[in-house]
Amino acid sequence: MSDNDFVVQMKGITKVYPNGIAANQGVDFNVMRGEIHALMGENGAGKSTLMKMLFGLEQPTEGEIIINGEKVSLSSPTVAIAKGIGMVHQHFMLVPSLTVAENMVLGMEPKQGNKLFINYKKAVEITEEFSKRYNLYVDPHAKVRDIPVGMKQKVEILKALVRGAKILILDEPTAVLTTQETEELFKELIHLKEQGYTLIFISHKLNEIKQITDRLTIMRGGKSMGVYETAGISKEDISRLMVGRDVVLTVEKEQAHPTDVVLSVRNMEYTNEWNKKMLDKLSFDVRKGEILGIAGVEGNGQRELVDMLFNLNVPDGGSAKVNGKNILGRPQREIRDMGVSLIPEDRMTFGIAGGGTIEENLMSDRASDKRYNNGVLFNLNAMHNDSDQLIKDYKVLCKSRKQLVGMLSGGNIQKVVVAREFSSEPVLIIADQPTRGIDVGATEFIRKKLVELSREGAAVLLVSADLNEVMELSDSLMIMYNGKIAAYFEDTAVLNDTIMGEYMLGLKQQSVEEIGGVVHGE
Amino acid sequence: MENKRQSMFEIFRGFIAIAIAILVAFILILICADDPGKALECLLIKPIISNGALNTKSIFTILARMTPVIFTGLAVCVMFSANQFNLGGEGSVMLGGFVAAIIAINIPMATGAHVFVAVLAGTMIGGLVMIVPAVIKVKLKASEMVCSLMMNYVIMFAILHFLNNKFADRSKGATQTYPFLKTAVISKMIPGTELSWGFLIAIIATVIVAIFMYRTRWGYSIRMIGINESFSKYSGMKVGGMIVLSQVIGGMLSGMGGAIEMLGRYNTFLWLDLPGYGWTGITVAILAKNNPIMIPLAALFISYLNRGCELMSIYAGVPAEMIDIIQAVIFLFFAAEHFLSGTRQKIVVKDAKEELQKKELASEGGNA
Amino acid sequence: MFSQIIEMIFSASFGYSIIRITSPILFAALAAVVAEKGGVVNIGLEGIMTISALFGVLFAYWSNSWIIGVIGATAIGVLIAMIMAVFALKLKTDIILAGIAVNLLGGGGTVFLLFLFTGLKGNTASLTTPNMLTPKVNIPFLKEIPVVGRIFSGHSVLTYVAFLLVILVWVLLYKTAMGLRIRAVGENSHAADSVGVSVMKTQYIALAISGALAGLGGAYMSMYYSQSWNIGIVAGRGFIALAAQAMGQGQPVGAMLASLLFGFASALGNKMEGMQGFSSYLVASIPYAVTIIGLVIYSMSTIKKVKRFKDNEK
Repeated sequence: MSDNDFVVQMKGITKVYPNGIAANQGVDFNVMRGEIHALMGENGAGKSTLMKMLFGLEQPTEGEIIINGEKVSLSSPTVAIAKGIGMVHQHFMLVPSLTVAENMVLGMEPKQGNKLFINYKKAVEITEEFSKRYNLYVDPHAKVRDIPVGMKQKVEILKALVRGAKILILDEPTAVLTTQETEELFKELIHLKEQGYTLIFISHKLNEIKQITDRLTIMRGGKSMGVYETAGISKEDISRLMVGRDVVLTVEKEQAHPTDVVLSVRNMEYTNEWNKKMLDKLSFDVRKGEILGIAGVEGNGQRELVDMLFNLNVPDGGSAKVNGKNILGRPQREIRDMGVSLIPEDRMTFGIAGGGTIEENLMSDRASDKRYNNGVLFNLNAMHNDSDQLIKDYKVLCKSRKQLVGMLSGGNIQKVVVAREFSSEPVLIIADQPTRGIDVGATEFIRKKLVELSREGAAVLLVSADLNEVMELSDSLMIMYNGKIAAYFEDTAVLNDTIMGEYMLGLKQQSVEEIGGVVHGE
Repeated sequence: MENKRQSMFEIFRGFIAIAIAILVAFILILICADDPGKALECLLIKPIISNGALNTKSIFTILARMTPVIFTGLAVCVMFSANQFNLGGEGSVMLGGFVAAIIAINIPMATGAHVFVAVLAGTMIGGLVMIVPAVIKVKLKASEMVCSLMMNYVIMFAILHFLNNKFADRSKGATQTYPFLKTAVISKMIPGTELSWGFLIAIIATVIVAIFMYRTRWGYSIRMIGINESFSKYSGMKVGGMIVLSQVIGGMLSGMGGAIEMLGRYNTFLWLDLPGYGWTGITVAILAKNNPIMIPLAALFISYLNRGCELMSIYAGVPAEMIDIIQAVIFLFFAAEHFLSGTRQKIVVKDAKEELQKKELASEGGNA
Repeated sequence: MFSQIIEMIFSASFGYSIIRITSPILFAALAAVVAEKGGVVNIGLEGIMTISALFGVLFAYWSNSWIIGVIGATAIGVLIAMIMAVFALKLKTDIILAGIAVNLLGGGGTVFLLFLFTGLKGNTASLTTPNMLTPKVNIPFLKEIPVVGRIFSGHSVLTYVAFLLVILVWVLLYKTAMGLRIRAVGENSHAADSVGVSVMKTQYIALAISGALAGLGGAYMSMYYSQSWNIGIVAGRGFIALAAQAMGQGQPVGAMLASLLFGFASALGNKMEGMQGFSSYLVASIPYAVTIIGLVIYSMSTIKKVKRFKDNEK
């Protein structure tokens, strides 16, 4: 195979971020003309960093990039765009208050004859023309903030095409889409491939990869695990290369013996600011000594539910009680005093203060406790001792308790969060994506602790998009779809991926009686 | 900073920033002084050494001028730590000074009590007015910056109104109040100099603020809120209350600074404009990197330069206002995160690589 | 006394002075609008205005031409804004701190610069000649109309420029490619960056325009309003402009209306000063107090709006 067949060659790419995190180490990545190439890996494997460098958003610390046989320095997206590279980001790069047509032409605005004013009519024409040519329907006049997610993604793809992209990077494009929208997208992508476009498809969904890609590159821990023909590699092998061990992580756990109801949610409802119903009369209970898992494709109301339970948002209706006491709209201090702990999904925003030391982060929920105060002053000895103990117990890899949390790796940051949340003798632990994007060692550690605490009598509500995790850890499990409970399984032993998938994607829905099983109290 | 090499670099960066500012000062002096050598001598040496001997009087003046700036610097430290850009220090200083002056003139009291009550009143009123921007920010999400700036002017005009219509001593040519009662004057630490006991109070305040910020739950909350408000809220801290508290403490420190400066330096109220200590306090806090314990050092530096500029204007005809240009330059470079960032990035990359090697060694040896 | 005030408010000279007082605030408010739309808080407006006001006078004095003065003031405004931009955008000094530094320069720094260039201390009153002041313009026909003519005719040429700029800034922001980019950068800089619109370049441009507008405001102050430069000449107008921007919801026309409100408060204060029983100092504080009250009312209304929206949903 000659070098000419490759449109993209990335050789020996290493990227070290200013905070010292090495996201890529000596990665090689090659893409052939006219193929759909999957870039796979778990969250935090370094896929996004690699693609950001290909799109000029980041610059490699070491290594070289060759596009169409020519060595290039992609110092900015402008340069990348000029080289025919386009990117559809996971978080849409659109300006909400501008119209679709305005977003389309941003940076390459058609002008009136006098070169001064925008020719808005022309912008609309361009949008319509591309929309038709590639069979991607959008409404040029609508403001982006008013259009559905699927259309936003089409605008993103059109934006890249209108800028002359021949190589299109799609960063987890199906994460936000419904099944139907995904099928539609795949048709469009194959259509593009037939017209000679090269597509790089970032994903960790095996079925999708199998369905539409030609070749795939797997990344793990910032390194490339090799390139494979999609047809020639089994799902099991992909999974093994991605996750890094032959056996799926299994956590040893005894049978649960759930007792009293701890958390009880009834008829919770919430409509978000874009008028989308995110929680639709949600009712369920979590009992002492059990792990109740919530599975589901992200964006089906899980985040909103967790926000309500920790007063980061207020529902439109319904109730939520912990041991019979209302928690909705109560200050976080009060909720924590009732024994509720939360491992937040967005750990960098809620979980830690990056500019604070490990000790300061470990003490954030308890700095006012008598234990840590002698009158007005802190009891520093108690703080230091307990911090050191937590660092040891939770195996936080660091120089000392004085190290800034923001300088730690993702896994160790999460261990700090977990150490704090698990050590407050919680009666209810809400764990929202507790192991997302962190290394295997930390993942295993956190999962074990979670099981341990539930067996010691804590009630655990586990929200996770990681199927493996939610199926392995949960004693019983519910699936959320469109703000509702789509299914409830008293015993997770009967479950497999296929069953889960059907409920998660809304193909199936249990009866009201079956779902009612999740309500144990009155 | 967790790393020795990186923290050394931070200090080096600070020196470069100061060096650039001094260089700018040199250039300006070369342009506008008749005798640049003499001007430079005035700026750099004369504040402490004149005619080959230690200029003790001038040294005490430098220390005395530090006093109000330490207070406003501490105030800014506390307020900015909560990530609140409250610029109302100016108003609080002037108001604190005014209220202390009114009590010093009109309410006779015993010797010790008089100063205490006057300063306390100035402190309280300074804190009280800061409730306005703080509450507006917390409750209505309105910019504390714009609000506090406007309040400075409202406070100034209100003071001028009362000064002119109620408290002015009409027998004097200038607008000023009647003299303070002797019982209300803060006595000099060293007789015959400008240095009053107020300086000692400023140093004590520094220690208290440092302890408050780093050794108490309230200071801790304020700092955490400043780093990450969402995190603090989620952790169960009373975010709104703590933000208000930080602003009130800032106002109290400013008010106290105004009161002490007034009773320690003057014998009648004669401020007809915002005194400027609030703004200098911001420079000082930036220089001290928001660390209370470093505030006196930063204040000393600014006070020294100030004295130098003053001497330069007396003996070399260079306007004393040059200090503002020097301050602005230091300010800009000191707060510039990316100033010399290329060098810092190299250090970080080097550290990260070493770290990685260490980790790999450790993991080969067993559990990572 | 109350009837006296009412009578005064409805007099033509009162309308005239509102416009006269609004003009500099309007320049600065438009400056704040452009910067804010581009995602930068330009708190240095106060300093930029003071420095531009000084150089306006100096350039006019050196050239004996008010036109050169105005151009010089504008250029200096751009220059200072660019210095701010280099520090804030390239060296990552916090934009607010960069603004404070510029205000420091505008404070004592201008006194020093004045001495450096002229040897004068504190003010330029001794330099002023009629040629240096921007001329008043009598608008034909309009000035003949009773009342209206007396309100709207006979202002400084810069006043008409200020109100014309409301339209120009609106056109710039909403009808030109640059405006589209400025708004995109301010609202979602990542989006702009991802299509090759340089965030930094766009913010440089936004700040430059902001500096030019503030520079014009400075020129108006020293070359018309006060007839010379002195240290406290801007007296918080740069800060008031920030409030006007916020109250005007970041729109050029909204900012104009907010500026007019402050102009009204100020004019009212000025007229009341002459009356018996009013303290000139308390009256002088009115525009600043009005700004705070305006900010509070505006913030309350936006919070209510969000609430009402949620209530409707239920």
